[in-house]
Amino acid sequence: MAELGRAALLVTFGLVVYALVAGSLAAWRRRRRLALSAQNALLAAFGSTLVAAVVLLVALARRDFTFQYVAQHTSRSLPLGYALSAFWGGQEGSLLLWLLVLSGYSALAVWLNRRARDLVAWVVPVLALVAGFFAFMLCFVSSPFVVAPAPGDGAGMVPSLQNPYMLAHPPMLYLGYVGLTIPFAFGMGALLSRQTDERWIVATRRWTLAAWTFLGVGQLLGAHWAYVEIGWGGYYAWDPVENAALMPWLAATAFLHSVMIQEKRGMLKVWNMVLVSLAFLLSIFGTFLTRSGVVNSIHAFSESPLGGWFLGFIALMTVLTVALIYIRLPLLKARTKLESLVSREATFLYNNLLLVALCLTILWGVMYPLLTQALRGETRSVSKPYYDFFLHTFGLPLLLLMGIGPLVAWRRASLRALGKTFLVPLLAAVVTGVALIGAGLGGSTPGLLTYTFSAFVAASIVLEFWRGTNARRAIAGESYPRAFTSLVARNRRRYGGYVVHAAVLLLAIGIAGSSAYQTVREPVHGLRPGQSMEIAGYTLTYRGLATRQEENAQATRATVDVSRGGSHVTTLHPGKNWYPVEQQTSNEVSIYHDPRNLGDVFTIADQIDPKSQTLFLKVLVKPLVNLIWVAGFVFVLGSVIAMWPDAVEQRRLAERYAPAAVSAGL
Amino acid sequence: MTLALVLGAVLAVLAVLLVARPFLREPAPADDRLAEPGELDRRRLELVEERDRALAALKELEFDHRTGKVSDDDYRALVGPLRRAAAEALRALEPRAQARVPEPTTRIGG
Amino acid sequence: MLALSVAAALAVFILYTAVVGGATTQLSPSRLAGHAGHVALVGTVVGPVTGDAHGAGLRFRVKDVSGASRVTVPIVYRGSVPDLFKVGRHIVLTGKLQGATFVGDKDSLVTKCPSKYAPAKGSSSS
Repeated sequence: MAELGRAALLVTFGLVVYALVAGSLAAWRRRRRLALSAQNALLAAFGSTLVAAVVLLVALARRDFTFQYVAQHTSRSLPLGYALSAFWGGQEGSLLLWLLVLSGYSALAVWLNRRARDLVAWVVPVLALVAGFFAFMLCFVSSPFVVAPAPGDGAGMVPSLQNPYMLAHPPMLYLGYVGLTIPFAFGMGALLSRQTDERWIVATRRWTLAAWTFLGVGQLLGAHWAYVEIGWGGYYAWDPVENAALMPWLAATAFLHSVMIQEKRGMLKVWNMVLVSLAFLLSIFGTFLTRSGVVNSIHAFSESPLGGWFLGFIALMTVLTVALIYIRLPLLKARTKLESLVSREATFLYNNLLLVALCLTILWGVMYPLLTQALRGETRSVSKPYYDFFLHTFGLPLLLLMGIGPLVAWRRASLRALGKTFLVPLLAAVVTGVALIGAGLGGSTPGLLTYTFSAFVAASIVLEFWRGTNARRAIAGESYPRAFTSLVARNRRRYGGYVVHAAVLLLAIGIAGSSAYQTVREPVHGLRPGQSMEIAGYTLTYRGLATRQEENAQATRATVDVSRGGSHVTTLHPGKNWYPVEQQTSNEVSIYHDPRNLGDVFTIADQIDPKSQTLFLKVLVKPLVNLIWVAGFVFVLGSVIAMWPDAVEQRRLAERYAPAAVSAGL
Repeated sequence: MTLALVLGAVLAVLAVLLVARPFLREPAPADDRLAEPGELDRRRLELVEERDRALAALKELEFDHRTGKVSDDDYRALVGPLRRAAAEALRALEPRAQARVPEPTTRIGG
Repeated sequence: MLALSVAAALAVFILYTAVVGGATTQLSPSRLAGHAGHVALVGTVVGPVTGDAHGAGLRFRVKDVSGASRVTVPIVYRGSVPDLFKVGRHIVLTGKLQGATFVGDKDSLVTKCPSKYAPAKGSSSS
């Protein structure tokens, strides 16, 4: 069956090449049937890619070890769910996932907007170009359908990947990464078809929001996986692979905000083209970073054949994009300009500058080892202190801006009006700050600032909902609950956005609490059975060790009793697993979620000496860390509200674009 | 193995058919030109977008005024030019019809 | 426009000082000899692995990840040892060369998994 998979990918490759060539010709020479034919080719490419994907899935499910890919990433004893997830566990499969999602998204986006013929005529070849690269890689460089004599059993899956979060994390990320290609393609399509209107933004608004949400959730899932599975006590290590997903997300966040300015004021057209391209290029770059391992060591570059191809593709797309934007610059002239540095437009602009600055400093940090190696012959790298510095420098003002933005009027805000609207949030911030210092939390400046700014933002958001509801009541005479729901319903993007801001707020508070105010303790000589240790008001007593056999691992666990203020709270079981097939140990942390401070008592069995029964225990108390995961849910809620279809708006947009209709989003 | 090749061939044939479909359905069309918005259509789109922008801005100004973000003075200063801009956009779209800017409706923050 | 340029200049300045101030040199064992300062050593673990990371110190050697060099550097390390650590693993460790032995910073041992896309971490809390 591997031949079918290979054949299907070749069909995909042929189709997208046709879509690229015929589509470009059709758009350039204005040939209707040819354009339609190219469009069909793109749609069909999804079908053939799906066939290839199904072939691989079936092979994984059946543990068909004649597929070299299946032999490398699964084993007979691997549970079915994880065996299927091996689809994206390796390089070739993850490329196929990329192509599958891209072709699926492309087919849907093109189909929904098929009536906007002049725009779609150019969108098709752009999408085909991107898909063509991945199809090329899959057919000729890195195929998942290589066959080899079947070994007795497969190599198995790295134990740390056998975790529910790892099932969801890569697909989520890919739904996000790939999703950023759609607005990019529509933006480039608009430039290629010389359009000066906002159709491309209207058509891709929900795509961008959805992709951005998936990317955000994917990162949170990854962080949670790192937290519970890798278990070093943290959730983000500024690793290149983590940054690979953060950078396009930051660019997409900036883009989501600046398109609002373009819609409302007709400004920032060039900036938006640049941003959407940056988000797309960073997502490809992110895939490249993750797949090729190039930044871990410069030597890995030559080891992986993928690296060169990816870099070439990124270079090609960058050149084409820059050239196209430059050539079409006259079309992107702004209709209005910034009237005042104290206006909501201005705050959006500052927000963009900060987000892009943060994104670029992270990019610099990721690229630094490569650059120093190439230019100075000596590899230098930066780590946590560098990233933390810039996270504080740019992140804290960003946090504050989230609270300032909603309070400032469009166009021009008078200082007197500002004074009135700022009063309550400022008071909230000052009161919080003083209270925290009084409670002894003044030790960490970033932590204190985060909390103080968060109070400001929280007050500002609450006030927005409050004032809005009141205004609605005054006008429509509705009761409070009805006024509230109709307020949100009539303005989903704005209030959904506020909910997302609330999520970011929770995230910031959770991160500050669990990093700036965490306590770490590890007894130097370890603990013998019966011995205790104290940390942040908790007492942990080590009782003993126990070993048991699990499905594909031997599990050793230490029993640790946790008490607080003299009374027993819970029993934790940190330990290690030994996987005989993969010949590897994995760390199994044990976490107590304390409802009192929404924090965790995080225990790691760093080392176990079975002979003397000594346990080297490392314990971290991380206040408020669970807010981070709660933030994920609030984030999704806010996005869903913002994306929810609005019938009135749909009608208005349909009427606006009647002759060359776009579907207003998904 | 042969099954795989047969299925592959079927896939390829389907692909070719889908791609050729527009040509098979219309072997000799009257007009094979891809529709492109002309100058008039582009201008109209620009005006429509401008009109929508101006109307939305008016609604937002009204809402911001109601919720206290914009002071009375600022409101008075800003509402005039905005109304004029909206009226102009409407007039440009329908030169013969009476361009009348609707009073701020009860629809909040639309 | 002026404001933006000033901001940009400031940003570049901050960037420069921050990066120059905080960057660590990465070296492979074959290039380590004689290097006095605090560096990040990148290499593959060579056995035998003796000692106790929570006691007197874990002792092992590292060699270059790739290339023909046969140079190995002796390491002594105290702190958390990642699960994936074993002979043949690609690791990164910060520390200083003291005499002929490279003394690793506590908890700075990190293993990298070149074929999988999720590197396993040591115990740096964040």
